[in-house]
Amino acid sequence: MKPSELFEQVYETASYTESVLHAHLELFYDEGLKLSKESDKRYTKNESLGLLDGIPIAIKDNINIYGYKTTCSSKMLSNYVSPYDATVVTSLKKAGTIFTGKTNLDEFAMGSSTENSAYGPTKNPWNPDFVPGGSSGGSAAVVSAGSAVASLGSDTGGSIRQPASFCGVVGFKPTYGTVSRYGLIAFASSLDQIGPITNTVDDTRIIFNEIQGYDSKDATSITPEYTKLENKKVKVGILKELMQEGVSNESQNEVNKVVNLLKEKGHDVTEISLPLTEMALSVYYLIAPAECSANLSRFDGVRYGIREDASTSYEMMNKTRSVGFGEEVKKRILLGTYALSAGYFDEYYGRALKVRSKIITDFKTAFDKVDFILSPTTPTPAFGFGEKTKNPLEMYLSDLCTIPANLAGLPAISIPTGLSENNLPLSVQIMGKPCSDYSLIDFAESIEEMVEFNFSPNLLKENNES
Amino acid sequence: MNLKATIGMETHVELDTKSKMFCSCEVVETDEPNISVCPTCLGLPGALPVPNKTAIEYIVMLSLGANCNITNEGMFHRKNYFYPDLPKNYQISQFDFPVGVNGFLEIVLDEELHSVEIERVHMEEDTGKSVHIGSGRIDSATSTLLDFNRSGIPLVEVVTKPVISTSKMAVAYIEELRQLVIDLGISKGKLEKGNLRFDANISVANEDSNELGTKVEIKNMNSLKSLEKAIDYEIMRQSKQIEKGESVIQETRHWDENKQVTISMRTKEGSADYRYFSDPDLPNMIIDEEFINNSKKNIQNLPLDKRKTLKESGLSLSDSNYLDKGDKWLYDLYLSTVENTKDSKSTFNFLTGELQGQMRKAEIDELPDWVDSEKISNLINLFETNEVSFTSAKDILAKLLGEDIDPKSYATDNNLIQSSDDEEIKTLVTSVINENQDIVERLEDPEDKLVGFLVGQVMKSSVNKVNPGSVKDILLKELFG
Repeated sequence: MKPSELFEQVYETASYTESVLHAHLELFYDEGLKLSKESDKRYTKNESLGLLDGIPIAIKDNINIYGYKTTCSSKMLSNYVSPYDATVVTSLKKAGTIFTGKTNLDEFAMGSSTENSAYGPTKNPWNPDFVPGGSSGGSAAVVSAGSAVASLGSDTGGSIRQPASFCGVVGFKPTYGTVSRYGLIAFASSLDQIGPITNTVDDTRIIFNEIQGYDSKDATSITPEYTKLENKKVKVGILKELMQEGVSNESQNEVNKVVNLLKEKGHDVTEISLPLTEMALSVYYLIAPAECSANLSRFDGVRYGIREDASTSYEMMNKTRSVGFGEEVKKRILLGTYALSAGYFDEYYGRALKVRSKIITDFKTAFDKVDFILSPTTPTPAFGFGEKTKNPLEMYLSDLCTIPANLAGLPAISIPTGLSENNLPLSVQIMGKPCSDYSLIDFAESIEEMVEFNFSPNLLKENNES
Repeated sequence: MNLKATIGMETHVELDTKSKMFCSCEVVETDEPNISVCPTCLGLPGALPVPNKTAIEYIVMLSLGANCNITNEGMFHRKNYFYPDLPKNYQISQFDFPVGVNGFLEIVLDEELHSVEIERVHMEEDTGKSVHIGSGRIDSATSTLLDFNRSGIPLVEVVTKPVISTSKMAVAYIEELRQLVIDLGISKGKLEKGNLRFDANISVANEDSNELGTKVEIKNMNSLKSLEKAIDYEIMRQSKQIEKGESVIQETRHWDENKQVTISMRTKEGSADYRYFSDPDLPNMIIDEEFINNSKKNIQNLPLDKRKTLKESGLSLSDSNYLDKGDKWLYDLYLSTVENTKDSKSTFNFLTGELQGQMRKAEIDELPDWVDSEKISNLINLFETNEVSFTSAKDILAKLLGEDIDPKSYATDNNLIQSSDDEEIKTLVTSVINENQDIVERLEDPEDKLVGFLVGQVMKSSVNKVNPGSVKDILLKELFG
């Protein structure tokens, strides 16, 4: 198939899925078609730029593409056009990738269901009554629905892995610092990491390979020295704290299923315990809002974005922020501002930092004994719209299993393993030590082969049958 | 009641780096707005800061120059506050772990040395510039224009302990700091360009009290003169209030240059909460021994060292302090000139009085190429040995600033060499006595003012070519024996 044919195919899919799913906020048909025809010519001349040349990839709408809007699904940036490319976008452009468009997210990546988008929620391709997860809900849904071959998301507390799990696709959060954050609109800088969402683990490997590496524009970027596995038989730890109350039996069963398959192949599986994991959620909900409270200060109506009329500059900023931000964003800014305030800093933010460094140490110790840590990706399969919007704590709990990897900066991948009782995808998550990204991908690929997840969303079936 | 004032200074020094603190935008000096900006210094969504290594080196140099201890693992913090010309609405600064701590600067007041203790030296990024249209102030402006050329330029903040007691001492401290940054080559140090901007924290308390009075912060002092006046005014204002039994309010006040008074800007209820926290976009600043040693390599001939050299040449402390603060060429010229003249005071006086005075008058900023220490020392020696009069020396200097002449040959060619031939002088004296018999008769003693008149007459008749000292000696001998 020629790149332009592939592009027409995903665009054709988008034309009937988008009306139901609302996964893309904007589609770049004209430019995409033009670029894919250029790609055709390169293939004809045997001058292909590599494996990603001509591949249609969707980009989460908190990653800047030159000349296009980057809204972060916020009213605040409804008119904001980026004057520069994010480093990951530059890398993909060089590789000949075609962008299908920008995908929906929870406003400023704050949420776990895409219900917080100022432009309306995205639906789950497996069942439009259910959420696709979040915050990269749009990026997961497009891959699942086939309106893009792959996508980029961002993961601060599970925002790649959780929606990938809900939508039955592969989601990978790389080691913190291996993929440049330059051009990603920050939510919580010490936790944010860009990563791919794909149909197969191999696709994840190809995209990660293209976007990883040191970037002089990001001071937290590292020159990764990737570790290799010495043995074919690996040691896998099952995290006890994520296999107990709070995690559904369905989710636990997927882990048990994989454990049995691993044992059959002769891998060494043991239970491990990291008691501080239980505090990860609390630590996260102090650190992430604290960082976001400062990161989102720049949205004030002065230089870009929307601006509300007022008689003084302070009044203008106040009004603009009141109108421009949604409820969840305001809630987190308030929470973070409070946690950083004089008199509360030590008790909240300061203490959270201490626990975070302890969590990092605990993982380090654990990885002296095991190569990988296996857990469910999410406590439950996808939930219905409105089910958790009234109880934020329950919503926050859906990131229970994914948050620890962000706090410790670890690479973690979610791969689909089965279906729930109500035919929604379930996944397992594998975490590795820092810079074990490639061996983690290799190991995930072996599990992918063992579980043989061959299901596709209902939405596609219905349309294919009709 | 005897009152005493206590002053602490906070000074922002704009570093003279090629590029800004956290992006590669060039540091420009221009009135054309927003020509040196990028996503980072405009605070665009998704842009990230990357530290400028040279700026950190400069901050380490300044910390070392101010005799501070260096923090080996410095941290960048976010200082959160909203202001339209602050693009991210937080400023990247330093909080717990500044680059330099616990230093001091030695300053000179008259003939005395004082030590001003430095509490901290830390890095900060500059904000953009607001131009308020309709009035100079934000509260009465009809609109405001923003220029982000300045946004992200590296600043160093130098904070003293509350150890300064007078306005003169504060001025001497700023002069010393200014010279330090110039000699380190890390800032242009121009006050009029805002390269150094200072605030003063002033409190007044009973002389016997161990506690400081209520602190008032004074802003908007744009020159050393306004600094001195503002401090004097504020000490007087607070003292009056205390004497009246009223309490001083903790606040920030603005120096009004036109009215020559300080005006209340806003009352501080406690201190503003900037919610400082470590910037997650920036790893810690590792300043190891190697980095410190490399920075040390660039440090030489600081004001303190120059002062030592000048004192060793025979100058007083205050004259040394004057020269170590001056232009480098003047300092160099003095040192090479005094080698040949051997008279430090007269060399100092001639250079700082005559040479600088004439240059100012002629509006010359730089010494012409042909004027070197050899010519200047020859000229000084000419009048020091009475070969030419001081008046002639001044004329020769004026000539020398205009064209390449040899002072000695010029004096000879133009008949400026004074005669010390007693016989020639005696002849002139005799004729002046004869011509002025009426005055000679009125003379009472050698101290009479009229002696001077007669000396003048002799000088006039010689067309200034005789030495006035010799004339007086001979005249008195003739008249009084």
